[in-house]
Amino acid sequence: MIFQRVLRTTEMSDSDIEVHMGDIAVMKGAHNLITSGVGSCLVITLYDPKLQIGALAHTMVPSSAKRETEYGQCLSACLSSKTSSDGQACLVAERVSTKTKDTKYVDVAIDQMLKGLEAKGAKRQDLEAKLIGGANMFSSIASDDIGKDNVLSAKDKLKAEGIRIVGECVGGSQGRSVEFSPTTGIVTVKVKF
Amino acid sequence: MGNELQEIDLLNQVNDEAAASASRALSKLIDRPVDVGISKANVKRVEDLSPLIGREEVVAGIYLPVTGDIKGAALLIFPKETAFTLSDLLVRREPGTTRELAELDKSALKEVGNIISGSYLTVLSNVLQIKIVEHIPNFSFDMFGAIVSQIITEFAQKTENALVIELEFLFKPETLKGYFLLLFEVEQLKAMLGSCGGGVENLLC
Repeated sequence: MIFQRVLRTTEMSDSDIEVHMGDIAVMKGAHNLITSGVGSCLVITLYDPKLQIGALAHTMVPSSAKRETEYGQCLSACLSSKTSSDGQACLVAERVSTKTKDTKYVDVAIDQMLKGLEAKGAKRQDLEAKLIGGANMFSSIASDDIGKDNVLSAKDKLKAEGIRIVGECVGGSQGRSVEFSPTTGIVTVKVKF
Repeated sequence: MGNELQEIDLLNQVNDEAAASASRALSKLIDRPVDVGISKANVKRVEDLSPLIGREEVVAGIYLPVTGDIKGAALLIFPKETAFTLSDLLVRREPGTTRELAELDKSALKEVGNIISGSYLTVLSNVLQIKIVEHIPNFSFDMFGAIVSQIITEFAQKTENALVIELEFLFKPETLKGYFLLLFEVEQLKAMLGSCGGGVENLLC
């Protein structure tokens, strides 16, 4: 069984490490990575069974490409309007550069997880991915389904990177909490109802 | 970020008035006193929305998209027990009867969302002299984190910072709480606060 579904409240033990919305964690060791209240966000886990290391990302939005373009335009506007202070212009420029590493985006998060895992010796062909989340909590709003876009974006990106997806618990209109063991690769998904 | 800004102070004054109007509307609806606990307006990163409630706590969330001169979202949050008590009051059941939400209860709670949000936004619209259109309410009964993060995510796609208005309602005599969150795109903030005569260029971009 890939996922265990249990109906209980997450009880965080001392050995659990919480991964917040928009963050990633790369782990080797006995600590579980947990993240709670996942709605339209998408949790992506990567696991190397040979080295027994794993990574978890709590992503929010599908792709960084559009955002970077908007930031580029915003930067131009700011630089032209803020001629009085070099400091301000630099501050804006720095924020733009940090944006390219923003792990709230599915594609950036996968890149950063791969970087982290490969730095620890993992090989891409050994990695197994699991996807959890991507719900639409307000199912009456069908026009703008970010959850679905997140899932599609992750599948495209993982395919492009040559990483197998071995399990998924996505879609629907239900919130989920996730517990991931980087040692065993087991993902436990908890729902409230 | 932004606490010290005059523009936010000004917005907080408007917020106080709108919050009072919203609490009066709620009080009238449930026929008991309603106090406004926390009431604040701030500019913050969309990911940093303060955790009012535990992420796994089950809540009733009523979400109303907001359009017009400013685009945003209104989200009313009632923790499970508050939602049940409100349902008892609204549907006129014996106190303590409701243990799950039927369609009628959800509909009644959506109407609460409509009324609170409407009364708040009417004040905002009148004071700032801007057009605000509130759309039909959507309902979800699930983990707080999952509900609120979907709204945050909608914003994260479009903007870095959001203007976040947080209200806490306290119902008497029970110590029940409800929360009202309003988020506006930061690009819209300039227009909104510009109406009050403040410049917010150093906040934007």
